[in-house]
Amino acid sequence: MSTIETAATAIQPIEEDAPRRLVWWKALLADRAAAIALIVLLIIVAGSVFAPLIAPHNPFTSSRSVMVPPVWAERGSWEHILGTDGQGRDIFSRILYGTRLTLIIGVVAVGLGGVLGSLLGLLSAFYKSIDPYMMRLMDMLLSFPAILLGLALVAVFGAGAVPVIIALAISTVPDCARIARSIAVGVMEQEFIEAGRAVGLSDGQLFRRYLLRNCISSIMIFISLRFGQVILIGAALSFLGLGASPPTAELGMMAAQGRDYLLFAPHIAVIPSVMIFIIVLAANITGDALRDVLDPRIRN
Amino acid sequence: MTDLATPVLDVRNLTKHFPIRRGVLRRVVGNVEAVTDVSFKVAPGETLAVVGESGCGKSTTGRALLRLIEPTSGQVMLDGADVTNLSRNALRQARRRMQIIFQDPYGSLNPRMTVREALSEPLLLHGVATPANLDAKVAEVLRLCGLSKFHAERYPHEFSGGQRQRVGIARALATRPRLIVCDEPVSALDVSVQAQIVNLLQDIQRELGIAYVFISHDLAVVRHIANRVAVMYLGRIVEEAAAKDLFASPRHPYTRSLIAAAPRPDPNVKRERIAVEGDAPSAMAPPSGCSFHPRCPIAVERCKVERPVLRQAGTSTVACHLAESQDAHMTGAVDKHHLNQTLIRRLEMLQAARQKSRDTA
Repeated sequence: MSTIETAATAIQPIEEDAPRRLVWWKALLADRAAAIALIVLLIIVAGSVFAPLIAPHNPFTSSRSVMVPPVWAERGSWEHILGTDGQGRDIFSRILYGTRLTLIIGVVAVGLGGVLGSLLGLLSAFYKSIDPYMMRLMDMLLSFPAILLGLALVAVFGAGAVPVIIALAISTVPDCARIARSIAVGVMEQEFIEAGRAVGLSDGQLFRRYLLRNCISSIMIFISLRFGQVILIGAALSFLGLGASPPTAELGMMAAQGRDYLLFAPHIAVIPSVMIFIIVLAANITGDALRDVLDPRIRN
Repeated sequence: MTDLATPVLDVRNLTKHFPIRRGVLRRVVGNVEAVTDVSFKVAPGETLAVVGESGCGKSTTGRALLRLIEPTSGQVMLDGADVTNLSRNALRQARRRMQIIFQDPYGSLNPRMTVREALSEPLLLHGVATPANLDAKVAEVLRLCGLSKFHAERYPHEFSGGQRQRVGIARALATRPRLIVCDEPVSALDVSVQAQIVNLLQDIQRELGIAYVFISHDLAVVRHIANRVAVMYLGRIVEEAAAKDLFASPRHPYTRSLIAAAPRPDPNVKRERIAVEGDAPSAMAPPSGCSFHPRCPIAVERCKVERPVLRQAGTSTVACHLAESQDAHMTGAVDKHHLNQTLIRRLEMLQAARQKSRDTA
């Protein structure tokens, strides 16, 4: 070992303080907009998870008090905080259950489609020989609008959450694959990929540690932005009556049902719409902030 | 010192031609002849510099001999074992004995990995360290490259260019390879940092006896670090000689102009007109005969039709029909006459830095 030390002393090590680095979630909370969005999202998720415990009324049974306005409006009552709909069902309870279904549809669809799509895109960039075939396949998928796909699947399997999830997942795949591929192609051109090969890494290690690790945050931000879109398309499908069938509560469907009363009881349609808006906005802000903190170059 | 009887690296007729594909059917319409028929040997602890202008195939040579690019043909022997037909798995294991240092210290480190992760990778992969003694091994490699233990927790973007290059060197050294291909390791660095890194490379070579293939276009650095120099032009070696002989009496006209063309800081200083005119011809359609003849100041009719083969001329190996006649022509015009002032000054600087680091050691 002593022979090695003589070489080391030839150049003095540069003494510096070890850097203090924020843990990523601390950095996330330091961004005020992101912190608020994250808290809102957590409240919404908690509300939908614990819906059976929180809901003051049964969301599916009607009552005689129809079209009661929310508590802050004239004639409102604490009995129904957000009022009741055209069939006298408690909107607050229906929102809790509806959000639950909307989130499940969105998360499952984005999860399935995002993971599959990103993986295909990354593989396409990693193994250039499959790239042309993969991308033509994605072009084919891309030419199906999600709404049309949803209509076709519902026509075959009947209305319900599952065909909607499948339709949304399939429509997410080509977008994610294209984005993941374009990010990955840029990373593959970098010299450190070659350096990884020179070290002797296997394809699997190179893919995971070098390619995936350098693409994941950009893909995450895209998927989280896509999550907002999927929620919107999902709500649109429900609005068209393709998704969950009554009396199940789903935000898009609730908005559709409120449409008939838009002139004399606007809250029935507006409240679920606002809820969709809040979910989409919070998801987008959180996704955006997540990208910033996951990238070590922006982090400090 | 240079024991070429038992070389670490023996490259035989290495060739890399890239196919050019055109049209919808991706038909091969031609080849870029990046590297053609390159052979050389490197002895243990020796530095062979490969020089030439950009696009002459020197980096491709370095990558092809490590099989980072698959060579079209030819043979590469590392310690007597053939590298060219190793299976994928065997090749990955062989990477323990042959490493590379890249030109760009910014692009060659994975930005998502701390230095510790980057260094543990080769250490664990090749069984040099176990998870138990990993920390000690990482610290040892860092110290060898003039970095400290606390640097291990940092990401590449937290380092300066010179420090990053040290990390790159540390990664290449981690497995104690027999051979390191240095692909322009100092060209992306400040002149002051260059001297440090060059010295570091020399110290490490002296301690560990690693052979270097040193790819560079910087003749001052090459003169300082190399034992032997191979000059490449359009994918072929045109001259190979011991460094001091090559700089003292370059025999190929291309080598002479290369040495004369090294950049100078004062544009008003009268330039000795042996600089080559025009661009290098395309490697897609190399000229007939000697590929240098369109730019050669002394070309004769024979150069246009007959390709000169590498042959012994004095102490060098040269691929020029006129090497001998040039020899007579060039006597007297030797040594420092060729090296322009800048080159000499930079060489002196490198030597001074070397002396200084020896004194402090």
